[in-house]
Amino acid sequence: MSSSLEKLVEQIISESKIKADEIRKRGQSEANAAIEAARTEAIREADSIIRDSKSDVEAARNRIASQERQKARIAYLAEKNKVVQHVLKHVQARLLELVENEPSYRPFLLKAIARGVEAIPSEDVKVALCERDLNRFKSGKLLDDALAAAQTRKKVTVVDQPIETAGGAVVTSEDGKTRVDCTLEGKLKLMEPQILTQISQILFAS
Amino acid sequence: MKKIVEAEKEAQRILEQTNHAIAKMKNDLPNRITSMREQILKEATEQRRQIVLEAEKAGAKEAKQIASELSIQLQALSQIPEARRKRAVEAVVQLLLS
Repeated sequence: MSSSLEKLVEQIISESKIKADEIRKRGQSEANAAIEAARTEAIREADSIIRDSKSDVEAARNRIASQERQKARIAYLAEKNKVVQHVLKHVQARLLELVENEPSYRPFLLKAIARGVEAIPSEDVKVALCERDLNRFKSGKLLDDALAAAQTRKKVTVVDQPIETAGGAVVTSEDGKTRVDCTLEGKLKLMEPQILTQISQILFAS
Repeated sequence: MKKIVEAEKEAQRILEQTNHAIAKMKNDLPNRITSMREQILKEATEQRRQIVLEAEKAGAKEAKQIASELSIQLQALSQIPEARRKRAVEAVVQLLLS
């Protein structure tokens, strides 16, 4: 009798322990699930932070590098431009030397006048020269030679009023409505793109 | 009979103790989760700091490289031979006089 009572008591305690163990396991499992869900969510957020920062940083880095390249490019072009301007300064000096040398300059002036006369669609044209050329060529047969070069019978007169130019001529129609600038400065301006290309080809061609 | 009542009481005590432990664990759960979440995000922030730092280093290196290339290019410009410059001047003069 005593033995069966003992057994009953043990059974009560044992069942209680088993039940407690089940409760503990279920509670632990629920807690683990909640922790795991929270960890997954936190990791997802962390990944998002890292992913965003990677793309943000990459974009910022590219932007900075691009700005640096742009700055370098501008600095390089500015320096290149200085070299070109230096050459143009020498060109101007060289032209000033050349216009002082009458034999070398005269053919250019003739061509300039002839070109201007040809370009004006009028029978009467006026030619304006700088003071130096007016004094230098007024007694010569500059106009005759220019007309011969242009192969024209137009009536050409030289304007007494000098113009400001290093060399060349400005040709206008009698009524002054049409004007052709055949001065060195005019040609320099007109041919600027071609001149810059030529300089670049010679100086910077690798 | 008395022993059975005591056993029932002990069984009840075991269950109550277990329930109490579980309740305490559930009660502590939000703090545990918050702490864990903070730790994970803290590590992510640190990783972000490292990424920024490395990018800054790489950016500085890249900028240095660009500056170095520019310096070489500028040096090449300054070393254009005088003869070539003169050739350019004469070519332009010829172009203007043509």
